[in-house]
Amino acid sequence: MTVLVVSFLLVFVPYFIPWGPLDWLSGKLMTIAAVTNAFTIVIAVYSQFRRSGRFIREKRKGWVYHIYLLVLLAIMTLSGFILGQHAGAYEWLLLAVVTPLSSVIYGILAFYMASAGARAFRARSPQAALLLVAGFIVLLYQAPLTGAFFPGIEGAATYITNTFGMSVSRMFSISVSIGAIVLGVRMLTGREVAFLGFTEGEE
Amino acid sequence: MAKEGGIYRLMATYDKRWVYVVLFIVVLGPLINPIGMPIGISALTKNYYAQLNTLQEGDIVFDTWNMEFSGYMELKPGVLATHKMFIEKGVKLCIAFGHYEGVALPGEIFKQLQTWLDRYDYREGEDYIIIGYVFPNEAAVAALAQDFHANVRVDWKGNSIEGTFLDDIQNAGDFDMISDYTTGLATTYMINHMVLQYGVPMVENSIGVSVPGHLANLDAGLLTALLASTRGGAELEYLIGSPGPGLKSMDAFTLGHYSLMIFIIVGNIGHYGWTRRTGAKDRTGIK
Repeated sequence: MTVLVVSFLLVFVPYFIPWGPLDWLSGKLMTIAAVTNAFTIVIAVYSQFRRSGRFIREKRKGWVYHIYLLVLLAIMTLSGFILGQHAGAYEWLLLAVVTPLSSVIYGILAFYMASAGARAFRARSPQAALLLVAGFIVLLYQAPLTGAFFPGIEGAATYITNTFGMSVSRMFSISVSIGAIVLGVRMLTGREVAFLGFTEGEE
Repeated sequence: MAKEGGIYRLMATYDKRWVYVVLFIVVLGPLINPIGMPIGISALTKNYYAQLNTLQEGDIVFDTWNMEFSGYMELKPGVLATHKMFIEKGVKLCIAFGHYEGVALPGEIFKQLQTWLDRYDYREGEDYIIIGYVFPNEAAVAALAQDFHANVRVDWKGNSIEGTFLDDIQNAGDFDMISDYTTGLATTYMINHMVLQYGVPMVENSIGVSVPGHLANLDAGLLTALLASTRGGAELEYLIGSPGPGLKSMDAFTLGHYSLMIFIIVGNIGHYGWTRRTGAKDRTGIK
């Protein structure tokens, strides 16, 4: 806990008191953290092998996919380490397999989003009707052709996004930030210990 | 199916597969055979264009490709149009990735920009340097912002960056601009540790779902400009006078939006007519 508090102060204080040696120390600490963080990928790979291994041993539902996952993980990792990221074979794996699959999953989302949008925008109540009107104006503006014939639509759509939309977005951001600060304070005061690997009451 | 409630019920409960089929047709048709519908240019894109025009030859831009390959497909028009402006202006680029798939992007992007690279004799090592995947987490962004050379000594091919234009960069404050293309990876970290700490102007090219969040950042002055999704990219292509994938996809974009609106109208007419006729209180979503 002491290490945590000292590390926190070393990074936190220089934001408010810019002093050369403190800045240097803070910079070094952040570099160490960045390098250490990069090594956590090893733990992630180890955890995945352990988890998938359990699935395969116990032949749980979908265990075959875990074999597939481990084989691909091994192929990508080994080809990356042995051949290097600029080798033709590694680039081929990335460009011919990973990237098209990634794009397909992203592309399919458009269909789900359209169907979900069509389902959600129903005027079932006065509030839903208001949402429908607002959504319709923004949707109309988002179609590029509309702006060419009705330039006034931009003002209406911008008003909706800059007032109602932005206030909600800010409320969300502020809530997340306050939550993060509260969590940080709880961690620093020892009220939250799960992240250190301890359970409640154990330290 | 349409016994109770008649045609209204049919309209209110249409099969969602109709949405998929119609969307597929209206998107695929114009992509194969573009119609060339006119488009309006939004104030956001005009501002983005104006901000890029403030750059001078020799300025150093921190060019962060915070996207996976899937997100790149949406941001592609904006990425290409923005880089055409950078190349034309003779801006120096320090290119970093925020995702491991980023290693697949330079080959794809610079292949698309080959004509421009040749025309302006824009070369790797002299005019742009790729430092690779350097943003695995927030600590890495904070560390790099504070002491660039302590964290980056070689480019992504292992060549030393000593003796290049990056010698002028000690911390994030030495960049003239940050140009970020994001699916929501390290962007917030850069705002926290580079924009707020060093006051570097940052322009953003964002996927559609992240635009509302970034509008708040734009309004607060954390971003100086925002290019919204494929449509923003298409508008930028129009402004720089270089049509590309964005303008080609705008017909499909327009028809896709209009067809969704038609489905919404049909569903609402059906919902209204059905509940009015039968007094049904049931939810009338599509199946």
